[in-house]
This record gives sequence, structure tokens and C-alpha cells, in this order.
Amino acid sequence: MERNIQKNGLVNLVAAVVIFIATFVLTSYVRSLAGQSASIFLGLAALVAFASWFQMRLEENERLEKLELDELARAKGGSALFDAKESEVFPARRAREQFEKFFVPGFAVLLLLLEAGGAWLLWRWIAKATTVIAPDRAMPALSLFAIFALLLFLFGRFSVTMARLENHRLLRPSASFILLGAYICFATALGIAGVQAEFPKADLYVAKGLCALLGLMAAELLVALLLEIYRPRVKGKISRPIYDSRFAGLLGQPESLFTTAAQTIDYQFGFNVSETWFFQLVKKNLIVLLLAQFAVLIFSTCVVFVDAGEQAVLERFGKPVVGGVLTPGAHLKLPWPADRVYQYRTEQIQTFDVGYAPDAQSENAGTILWSVGHAKEDNFLVGNREPVTIKDENADTNDTLKAPPVSLITVSIPVQFQINDVMAWAYNNTDPANLLQDLATRAVVHYLAGVDLNDVMSQARLEAAQTLRDQIQAAADAHRLGVKILFVGLQDIHPPVKVAGDYEKVVGAEQTKLAKILDARADAIRTNALAGALAFTTTNIASATRQRLEVQALARAALFTNQIPAFAAAPSVYRQRAYFQTFAAATANSRKYILLVTNTDDVVIFDLEDKIREDLLNLNVPSSPNNQSP
Amino acid sequence: MKRNILTVVVGAVLIVIFALLLFVFQVRQSEVAVVTTFGKPTAHPYTEPGAYFKWPWPIQKVYKFDQRVQNFEDKFSENLTADNNNLLTSVYVGWKISDAKSFFPKFAGGSVPAAQRMLESMLRSAKSAVVGRHTLAEFVNADPKELQFDEIENEIEQSVQAQLQTNSCGIELEFLGFKKIGLPEGVTQSVFARMTSERQVLISRAQYEGEAEAQKIKSAADRQAAEVVNNAVADATRIRGEGEAEAAKVLPVFQQNPELANFLLRIDALQQTLNQRSTLIFDERTPPFDLFTGIPTSAPSQSH
Repeated sequence: MERNIQKNGLVNLVAAVVIFIATFVLTSYVRSLAGQSASIFLGLAALVAFASWFQMRLEENERLEKLELDELARAKGGSALFDAKESEVFPARRAREQFEKFFVPGFAVLLLLLEAGGAWLLWRWIAKATTVIAPDRAMPALSLFAIFALLLFLFGRFSVTMARLENHRLLRPSASFILLGAYICFATALGIAGVQAEFPKADLYVAKGLCALLGLMAAELLVALLLEIYRPRVKGKISRPIYDSRFAGLLGQPESLFTTAAQTIDYQFGFNVSETWFFQLVKKNLIVLLLAQFAVLIFSTCVVFVDAGEQAVLERFGKPVVGGVLTPGAHLKLPWPADRVYQYRTEQIQTFDVGYAPDAQSENAGTILWSVGHAKEDNFLVGNREPVTIKDENADTNDTLKAPPVSLITVSIPVQFQINDVMAWAYNNTDPANLLQDLATRAVVHYLAGVDLNDVMSQARLEAAQTLRDQIQAAADAHRLGVKILFVGLQDIHPPVKVAGDYEKVVGAEQTKLAKILDARADAIRTNALAGALAFTTTNIASATRQRLEVQALARAALFTNQIPAFAAAPSVYRQRAYFQTFAAATANSRKYILLVTNTDDVVIFDLEDKIREDLLNLNVPSSPNNQSP
Repeated sequence: MKRNILTVVVGAVLIVIFALLLFVFQVRQSEVAVVTTFGKPTAHPYTEPGAYFKWPWPIQKVYKFDQRVQNFEDKFSENLTADNNNLLTSVYVGWKISDAKSFFPKFAGGSVPAAQRMLESMLRSAKSAVVGRHTLAEFVNADPKELQFDEIENEIEQSVQAQLQTNSCGIELEFLGFKKIGLPEGVTQSVFARMTSERQVLISRAQYEGEAEAQKIKSAADRQAAEVVNNAVADATRIRGEGEAEAAKVLPVFQQNPELANFLLRIDALQQTLNQRSTLIFDERTPPFDLFTGIPTSAPSQSH
């Protein structure tokens, strides 16, 4: 019988390997996402089948070894053979123990990594995958997956039954995995059938489900590994292989839910928890509990709660109920699927942005500058009423000459709105929010295309916000969106970042111009003030001169009047005296040369040139007081 | 027994629900449905909301379509305007399924993405044609009279509408509008260069206007100062003249003894002339140096 179990393990291993290879090749051909996921499960099943089969072989060798030793012991009685070390006497047992001690935990860790990594990579791949099942390959794939499902089901069911009846713990892991593989192949076939039946995402949904299942199995294995550390070891109790997934066993045999749960609890706690009254009560009434839960779920759909700031549209068999706009509060309705409710944020002010996408990093900046990008901004075309004539002003670059007569501008316009007619919002457009954004963007594009760059950045800016608000509201009304535009803010409007610096330089140049004018005015004030002072000085000097002339004239006249008698008294003496007095005074500081030689032919030469450099002979040495003549 | 009844009731409810899901389908207010029996569409689509009976799959199959206005935005694509400017435009379009029965067979089971792809290709063709008929100034112009933004949109819409009517796809174009207009990257750089040049012109203008204005102010101030000073000098001259005139009033006093007066004037003039640093060369006849002639010379001179 033991031989048969080992054969069953080998059959499971071969079946898992063959069907894994077959599904892998098949899904590569069909390009089924679910098929790819299924092949990963079957690969894991092959690994588990190999590990369990290998462990079966080790136990079988140990059993044979024990039989042989018992036989020898009976034949020869006490022998030196039994005095040897245990490892030398029981090599097969030693090998099995080493296998369980080192290989099984290592294999469980490897399995955990494969499951977790597989789930993560599979999820990422599914999110990006754009492959679709080719219609002409769907039917063959469907048939083959159905056949794989049937084969795996037969092998798995047989092995599970064998494992349960004869309590073969090592056959159970591969049997559970293979039975789970059968259901997975069946689910894959359903996904492919769904694609064939015009549900193109059926394959994707199955793939996502399988991916989630793989993640759950990884989590279960991780928990099992952690619990294994703290599990109480009862002597003589045979341990369960860690790689034996209870989750796989449960999915493969849903009817054994309680058996699996009971085994798990008993195994973990070391006593029969499953025999307690509570566990038995739950086991007996499980169906009723599940049905009651489902009934509660259905009846819970008879009540709807509408949150503050929201309104809901009530549909009965798809038709809006008259007066069926539900306001905030609790409301009764028929259960799903007769009545359905669609909730909308009506009172809540909703916002979208035109012309920019807020950037969290730059939004934290304390200063917003034109020349520094503060969001992901779009460039809008704007009119240019009075462009500077490039030909006249700057004709040195060909590119500049080719530039079209438009300018670019960036704007940041937040638009706030409120839904004021929920029925119009719900039933006139498939995506009213997106349409409203399109209409607002169109209004901005249209407005900017018809205004001058400088105007819109200066005096037209105030009226622009109001104009845009009116235009967006009119467009929303024309398209029956059922919204009220509350606010359109022209919060930021400036030239693109690349040329914003040049605009700032113009402002700088204007300031420099003003500074120069102010400096000139300051100079003018100084010049005029000094001129005034000079004029005042000049006239004052003239007045002083006049006064001096007048006074001196009078004084001289008085002096002359007094000199006349003196002159009359001694005309020649007075004249001589006056002459010599004046001569002495006038020539006191003059250099004088007196020629006393007469009647000679000598030629006297005077060098009257001024000396450029003074020499020592010209120095006036002050006479010492001691040298003074008494 | 009670538990069995409860189980039966709940089971019955579940069966009813599953039966409803199999045999009944709902059409929402926003939907229109086409039912096919073994692949053949029934006579009339279901346009009114409500619950309807159907045979379960695979006998009958229900295809539901959204009959509300659906909108999409085409790619930001480049076209040449009538005045040879490259212009990038993107258009948003609102369309709806006006005839589900015509729509259903033309787009592989009523595939909305397939319909959008067809509309997009029609739109791109119409857009290229219309953009090529207009100049850039008709798209962007500060003069509202020159701007033909609305007219261009209408032309594109009419062109697409005409193609849809020709094909009778069960689709109706509801509205169309420009969402984005722009310039290719290379042209954008040229516009930036031109905008920079414009700013440079303004910078130079401000710079030299400032200098000129400053120079004007300074020269005006200089002129004004010169005027003030000149007036002051003239006033001073006048004042000095008045002083001269006033001083001249005492001249008759000097007329009492003109000889003495002239002598005094001469010695005054002599004094003022010699007042500066000067070199004088006299001979022995000049008084008072004529005294040197009356003084006896030294011994060697005498011997000579």
C-alpha cells in the first residue's frame, strides 16, 4: 500500500509538470492573462509535488531500513552492529530527519518568496499588459483548459480521497495543489469564454483574481512559518509539512472547511479545540448563518443614506422615480436590483484648473515669480495688437523674422462650480465634469485668441475673469450640464517662464529711466540753486562796489579839499613830499636795480627771467638774534 | 422545522433573484438597448427606461449603449494654415448614438471605442482641410473683427456632420470646439525669441529715453542758470554804473585845483602800478636816487 502512495505522488508530480509546461506554451500562444496566472500556480504545484514525493521516498527508505534491521536483530540477537552510533546504524532515518530539519523550512521559504514575488510581479504585469486574446485562438484554448481542468480534477480528487482515507499527510499537499490547479484551469476557461461572449475584461478579471489568490497563499504561508516557531512540540506527534497549504486544501475541497479549520486549530493549540460546544454549534448552523447573512445583505440595500452636500437619483428598473431626487438623510427603497441609487456631490463646491496642473513641490514655495515655474503650465496663444516691428528694431536673426505675429502666455484659472440640477448633470452627458472642463478650456483659448497680450496682462485683466465666467456659464447652460459657475479666478497670468525674465528687465529699464530723470532733476535743482546764489553774489558785489565808489568819492573829495591849502602853501615841497612818500611806499617790495654808471659804453645785461627752480641762494635765511647789530 | 422554513424562504428569494438576473434586463434612463436572438437584432431597440424580459444567454443577448452625449478630445495635431504657418490644434467633440440599430452592426457589437476611432479619423481629416483654408490671423487676432474662431469651428463641425450623414452610422455630432491651439516647439522657440527681442527694444527705448530726458532736463537747468547769472551780471553792471555816476558827482571838487588833482591821480596810479611784485631799473637821475650823484665816491674810484 505504501508503494502505491509513492506512485500516486510520482503521478501527481508528472501530471503537474506536464500540464504546467502545456499551459505555459498554450497561454504564450493564446495570450491569455488568466492562463499566464494559472501556469504560475501549476508551476508551484509541480514544486510542491516534487518536495512531497521526495519526502515520501525518504520515509519509505526509513521504513525499509527499519524492517531490515529488525530482521537482522531477530536473526543474530545482540550484535556489535547495535553498539555503533545511531547515525551509522540508521542512515535513512538520519537523512529523513535532516531533510525535515533543513530542507522543508528552506523549501517553505522558497515557496513563500515565489508566491509573494509571483503575485507582485504578476499584478504589475497585468496592470500594464495590453494583450488581448485573438478570437480565432479562443475556442482551442477554451477546450484545452477544460481538458486540463478535467485531468487535474481526476488526479487531484483521487489523491485527496486517498490522502484522507488512509491519512497520508505527505500526499495531501500535492493533491490539494493539483485539485486547486483544476479549479484554476476551469476559471481560466471561464475567463476565455467570457471574452468570447463579448465580455472582453473577463480574462483580465480572472487574472486579477488569481493574482490576489496567489498573494493570499503567500500570506498564509508566511503566517504558517511564523506559527511553526511557536507551535508546541508533542513527542510522538508527527509534524505536518509547512508547505502543505491549508488554504489550497480548503479551496480544493470546500466541503472540508470545518475539517481543515478544526485540524488547524487543534494542531496549533495542541488539544482538541474543535470539540468545544461553540465550534460544534457554528458547524451545525453554518448554512443558515450564511443564508441569513445573505438576506441581511439584500435587505441592507433597502436603505440608502445620502450624505450632507449630496443628492441622489433613484431609479426603479432603470427609470428615474418621479420626485426621485433624494436629499441628505436616510431613505427607504426597493432592494437591489429593482431600485438603484446614484449619488452626486451637488452642494459641495467642486474645482478644476485650466491652464495648469498644480505642483505640490512648487506650491510650497513662499514666493511666486514669473521667471520660476510654479506649476505645470500650458502656453496659450494670444493676440499681439501692436507688435514691435522686428525689421526696424532687431533684424539680425532670421528665426525672429519668421516668427508668426502671435505671442504666448500662461494662465492659471481655477474654476469653481456647483451642481444645481442633478438630473441634467446625470442624464445629459456621460462625463459632464470632463465636458465642463473642455468648455472652460475652450472659453479661455477663445478669449485669449481675441485679446492683446499687453491688454490682458494689465487693464483688461479685471474684466477678463467676469467675461470668462459668463462665457463658461453660457456654454454649460447650452449643453444642459445643470451647473452653476461660482467663480472663475484669473489668479496668475504672465508671459511664459522662458521670456518672463525679459519682461522683468523692461520694468527694470523703466525704473532706470525714471532714476536717470530724477537724477537730472536733482542736478537741475542744484544748478538753478547755485545760479541763483551766484546771481545774488554778483549783484551784491556790484552793490558793494557802488557803495565803495560813492563813499570813496566823497572821502577823496573831502581829502582833496583839505589838501588844497597845503598845496597852495608850498606847492613844490608838497608835491615832492607826496611823491617821495608814495614812491617809498610803492617800491618797498619791488626789486630795484639802480645804474650809477654814466658816460660809459658798458652794456648792462639783466636776466629778468623768472627762475623755474629756486636755489639755495634765493633762500632768505632769517638772521639770528645774536648776529643782530646792537 | 422553523429552521427548514427559513432556509427554504431564503433559498427561494435567492432563486427568484437569480431568475430575474437571467430573464430580465434593465434599461436605464441614459441607455438604449439592442437585443439579439441568436445574433440577429430584434426589430426595435429599447429606448425607454424600464425592465424587460429576455431569454437567457446564449439564446438572447443584450447590448446596452449610453445614449447620453459622449465627449472625447482628439490628438494635438499639426497642420499648415493658409499663410504657411504650422499650427497645432486639439478639438473636443460631443457625440451621441442617435440610432442604436444602425450603430450596433457597424462597430463590431456596438464598440464605442471603435466609433470614437472612426470619428477621430473623420475629425482629423476635416480639421486639416479647414485649418488649411484659414490664416493664422483668423485663429488668433487681437482685432475681434479679424478673428474667425467660431466660424472655423462651425466649418469643421459641418464637415464631420456631412461625412456622418453620408455613412449613416447612427451617430450624431452634438458639438465641437477647440480645446487647445498652439505652435510646434521650433516655432514656439522663434516666438520666444521674438518676444525677447520686443522686450529688448522696449528696454533700449526706456534706457535711451531716460538718458535723453535727463540730458534735456540738465540742459534746461543750465540754460535757466545761465539766464539767472547773466541777469545778475547785468544788474551788477548797472549797479556799478550807478555807483560810478554817484561817485562822479564829487568831481567838481577836484576841479578847484586841477594841477594838484592830476598830480594826486598820477601818484595814485604809480602806487597802484608798483603795488604788484615788480623789477625796477633806475639810473642816478631818478629822484631820490639822484642823491647818489652828490655823494663822493670811494678811494679807488678817486684814484681812477
